[in-house]
Amino acid sequence: MADNYIPDNEPTTRTLLRRVLDTEVLRTPRRPQSTRTGAQKTLLETPFSMRLRSQTKTTARRHAHRTKSIGRLAHIQTSGHLKEQTPRTLLENILLTAPESSMVMPQPMVKPVSASQVVQFSSQESSPSSLELQLPELKPPTTLAASLLPSGKRKKRLKLSVFQQGMDQGLSLSQGPLTEPQGNAVSSALISSLNLTFVTPLLPQSVQRPGLARRPPTHRAVDVGAFLKELQDNSVALALPGDRTPVATLPTDTLLEDTQPFSQPLLGRSPSVYHSPPYPSLSAERNVSRRTRSSGPGLQNNSPGKPAQLLVGKAEEVNALAMGFPNTSNSISGEDELEPLQDGIGEEAEKIMEESLSMSEMKEAAGAQGSARAEEPETHTDVIETEGSSGDTEAKEAEPEGSSGDKDPADRTASPELASNTPEFLQARQLEFLELAPPTNTAVGLFRQQFIPAPSLSSEPLEPLSARLPSRVQTAGSRLRQDPYKTGLSHYAKLFRFYAKMPMEKKALEMVEKCLDKYFQRLCDDLDVFAAHASRKTVKLEDLELLMRRQGLVTDQVSLHVLVERHLPLEYRKLLIPCAFSGNAVFPAQ
Amino acid sequence: MALSTTVSQSQRVKRKAPRGFLKRVLKRQKPHLRLETNCDLLVHLNCLLFIRRLAEEARTDACKNKCGIIKDQHVLAAAKVMLKKSRG
Repeated sequence: MADNYIPDNEPTTRTLLRRVLDTEVLRTPRRPQSTRTGAQKTLLETPFSMRLRSQTKTTARRHAHRTKSIGRLAHIQTSGHLKEQTPRTLLENILLTAPESSMVMPQPMVKPVSASQVVQFSSQESSPSSLELQLPELKPPTTLAASLLPSGKRKKRLKLSVFQQGMDQGLSLSQGPLTEPQGNAVSSALISSLNLTFVTPLLPQSVQRPGLARRPPTHRAVDVGAFLKELQDNSVALALPGDRTPVATLPTDTLLEDTQPFSQPLLGRSPSVYHSPPYPSLSAERNVSRRTRSSGPGLQNNSPGKPAQLLVGKAEEVNALAMGFPNTSNSISGEDELEPLQDGIGEEAEKIMEESLSMSEMKEAAGAQGSARAEEPETHTDVIETEGSSGDTEAKEAEPEGSSGDKDPADRTASPELASNTPEFLQARQLEFLELAPPTNTAVGLFRQQFIPAPSLSSEPLEPLSARLPSRVQTAGSRLRQDPYKTGLSHYAKLFRFYAKMPMEKKALEMVEKCLDKYFQRLCDDLDVFAAHASRKTVKLEDLELLMRRQGLVTDQVSLHVLVERHLPLEYRKLLIPCAFSGNAVFPAQ
Repeated sequence: MALSTTVSQSQRVKRKAPRGFLKRVLKRQKPHLRLETNCDLLVHLNCLLFIRRLAEEARTDACKNKCGIIKDQHVLAAAKVMLKKSRG
């Protein structure tokens, strides 16, 4: 049946959602959880969701209408079942069904957990309903349904996002006991905070869905290889994180509260409030994002929990910092949203590609920390460079970093205080290398801050470079400026650009300056010869006229005065062409 | 000697001659020579014409090679021609 619906409903997001629901419905009966429907109906009447229930009813009617239009009565019944069954089951079904077409399925367990955690955290933060977290599972379905329905009414895009969120939430509900307020959180987040941010990521999501399925396998392969490689490095790193944990968590909380409604807070708070299961999933996602590098540490961290928190928290920190910047805020927030919604690995890969800016930064941050733990600056730079593979922006980032790698030793020798003069990200580097203690976290934050805008603005990465090498560049530049000869040549080179009336390469301009140099040499030689021939030591106008005549510039048709009139401004013309003034005076005197 | 600047096409070009620079160039190359009054202006004019021809040559060369941007090789090819033509 799903296949039949697909072609009909393709055009709009609403139709897409409906189609998804239909497919789910069809498959829900197969699933073991469908038996719950009766119980959930009773739940619907709970005081918490009176209006929600009404909304759900309306939605159910809508579904029925649609099915009728399609001409299938059985579907109506099924749709009713769906509403009764709660969105949780629906969402699960959707997730399961989607994988069928794709290969994403193998790790359904990990992904739902992460989603559930994310949702939980978001619920805590965003909505006052945090108290409701402890409510039994039964309620959530109603809330979820309500959230889904209103969102669908609002906007098409919002519908999609909400719907997917609901899906994820449903998964989380099935697996996680305490996720009840999710619906509220989602709704509140949608309403209150960032509609725009939601909108942007959503479209790519829908598009990406099919793509997600394809990509994951490759990622996993990379992860495995990386994991084996980096287990060793991480072992060293793991020891350190214990010290950092407090520092990392605190900043994340403060920053995140301000900016992000959704996922970030979760990570920061997760250690204190919630149980361990989320961490592994989150760490797994992180690993994916970091690709080869971070996978090792993340996997190791899964068991302890705290180290994983550290990594995640740091990454989140970066995000929070990024939020400060208007340009990047949208993309980053989109990421955060996407994380819970999507299956994680495959989705993140796509995100990386699309939103390479923020993600690359995240990766770099993680990579930097990992390398710092390894305490090998050289390896650190290499890793970062290798990581910066996907986008041009990353390449740009890699540039400054690679160059910074050279400078690192010098910086290291210098005291941190002196480092304050140097650009911030260098400081961060220094700190990382010098000391792995808590300050590194803040340093990383600064580092991120500087870097986040960089990808968006190509010029940014260059800035630190110039700042880093101020002395050399300035000396060279000053020398150029000090040399009047070069400046004069450059002046004429600019004129060349004007006359050429075409775009030029800088090399071409340099070449022009060379030509001008030769030209002036020859000119002086010629003038010398002319003056010497006339047994003079003064170069006169005649000499120049003769020169121009020999050059073919001045001919019988075109006199020198004509050229002067054509090419020189009036002030100079007055000086060169004798003209009669009042009082029968001729200036300049001949 | 007011500063004269004219807006030429899209770009604003300084039309003021770097007279000091021109004098200094000659002085540096031929310390025993001195330029007559306003001769530097003619040098400037000569230089302008040279650059103009060079630019036109380079442009035609670039167009011949179906290149939208003047590259150094085009300038080099034009310079060979123009330096030969501008022999005194």
